[in-house]
Amino acid sequence: MTGAIFGLKTVAPVLGLAILYLLAVLPVAVLYGLGYALAVSIASMLAFNFFFLPPLHTLALTDSENWVALAVFVVTAVVVSELATRARRRAFAAAEADTLRRSDAAKTAVLHAVSHDLRSPLTAIRAAGEGLESGSLQLGESDRAALLETIRLETARLERLVANLVDLSRLEAGAAPAQRELWPVDELVSRALDALGADAARVAVTLDGEAPLVRVDAAQLERVLANVLENALRFSSPSDPVELVVSSTGDDVLVRITDHGPGLETESLERIFEPFEHGRGGAEGTGLGLAIARGFAEANGCRLWAEPHPASGASFVLAMPSAAARPTLVR
Amino acid sequence: MSKALVLVVDDEPQILRALQTNLRGAGYEVETASTAEAALASAAMRPPDAVILDLVLPDGSGIGVCRELRSWSDAPVLVLSVVGDEAEKVAALDAGADDYVQKPFGIDELLARLRALLRRAGPSTEPVLEIGEVVIDLEKHLVTVGGRHVSLTPNEFELLRVLAQNEGKLMTHPAILREVWGPAYGAESHYLHVYISQLRRKLEPDPARPRYLLTEPGAGYRLVNPVAPS
Repeated sequence: MTGAIFGLKTVAPVLGLAILYLLAVLPVAVLYGLGYALAVSIASMLAFNFFFLPPLHTLALTDSENWVALAVFVVTAVVVSELATRARRRAFAAAEADTLRRSDAAKTAVLHAVSHDLRSPLTAIRAAGEGLESGSLQLGESDRAALLETIRLETARLERLVANLVDLSRLEAGAAPAQRELWPVDELVSRALDALGADAARVAVTLDGEAPLVRVDAAQLERVLANVLENALRFSSPSDPVELVVSSTGDDVLVRITDHGPGLETESLERIFEPFEHGRGGAEGTGLGLAIARGFAEANGCRLWAEPHPASGASFVLAMPSAAARPTLVR
Repeated sequence: MSKALVLVVDDEPQILRALQTNLRGAGYEVETASTAEAALASAAMRPPDAVILDLVLPDGSGIGVCRELRSWSDAPVLVLSVVGDEAEKVAALDAGADDYVQKPFGIDELLARLRALLRRAGPSTEPVLEIGEVVIDLEKHLVTVGGRHVSLTPNEFELLRVLAQNEGKLMTHPAILREVWGPAYGAESHYLHVYISQLRRKLEPDPARPRYLLTEPGAGYRLVNPVAPS
């Protein structure tokens, strides 16, 4: 700084050059606050005095005009840093208020979605239960079976909703540390299919020849795959298969899940991973599944994204970094 | 033959009632308790043939009950755990529980586990084990699936043997590792994951949907007969 100002000494009056030291003080005041700004302005004042004010190369001052100039210089530095500090404080308060407002809005959205999603299965279960209990209804064997089936299915739906909410709150609170271990990708796929229950029969699986290994939290990756598969199944007609294909690229193990549902607009490819987004027009489900899937994927160093499928439907791709060597254990 | 006595311990009256009804319907005699203290008192008064134990009790953890019970009773303990709490489940197994089901559980699953626990015989000592389509000749080290010979490595064979001799029972990771690879190996469960996936590729008709070699997340593995009457 001093060197640069020294170069200008011949073209500008010496006192005017003092102003240039503010170029050092201002950014410090804006970025680091009053303490550092004061230190820098005093250092600047000393350097200016030493190099530019007569007598040169001493800290002594002969001209009273220079005293005044220096005082003005320090005061300016202090005032600027104070102003910057206040502005920063105001900006911080505004950001905090904004965060609060947004988390409030999110909570309202959660409560809204959840109360709706809780109520509909509860209504169905209650109606079915009361139907079975009632003595005045003429129920045939198949009617009773249908009511019992309703209770079973709606209970399963409630279980999934609660599991999703628990997952989401753990993710948001950072209370779901990934316990990463070495797993063959086969195991992750089979656990996800197992979690889907009867619907898993609609998934056509192609495993990689090698059963590649990944280092992940199996329970969390099970949720990732199960949630993506559930989404794919929901948007496909029961006669269309959902395809799951495992492949390796060397660096990554890819699991690609493709459905033949309505597909995705380019602009919603990212949006569907936001909580409470109902991607493809359907209002079924909580809109939590994909948000949780991405949260868990990222917590495990994996990536999850959506691609529009060229023909119809959508593809979801999970990329897991492949773990290097296969372990062997000699007995 | 007299009915087997099952002690059910849970502090939720509705769960207690549902279990009691289902177990009686399945031909068991049932005692119930809703606290740790009552559970231990009941077990001391009328020794049960099996215990179904919730891990969360008002006056303490089910893990404590499990440990106490183990010090003077051989009755198998089936633990009811909450989804997602792997650490608790593992602690219960360490404290002497024999198996677990996760809440909310299916009653068929619970009854199947209970039956497996009540088959009190220790590991099978038959020279030839038949589980569904899988036939294991322990003397000749031969395995066939649906009559077709399957070639296994020595490690894969040993792993299959341990699981098959304990058909239907939960085998924890440390228990399998120690039995197959020796006492030095108790914590290397990732090796196990790899060997299990290799075994599945050789034995299972559809390795992505295993019917014989089932994973118990966080706890261990179980070899079941997929065509067994439930």
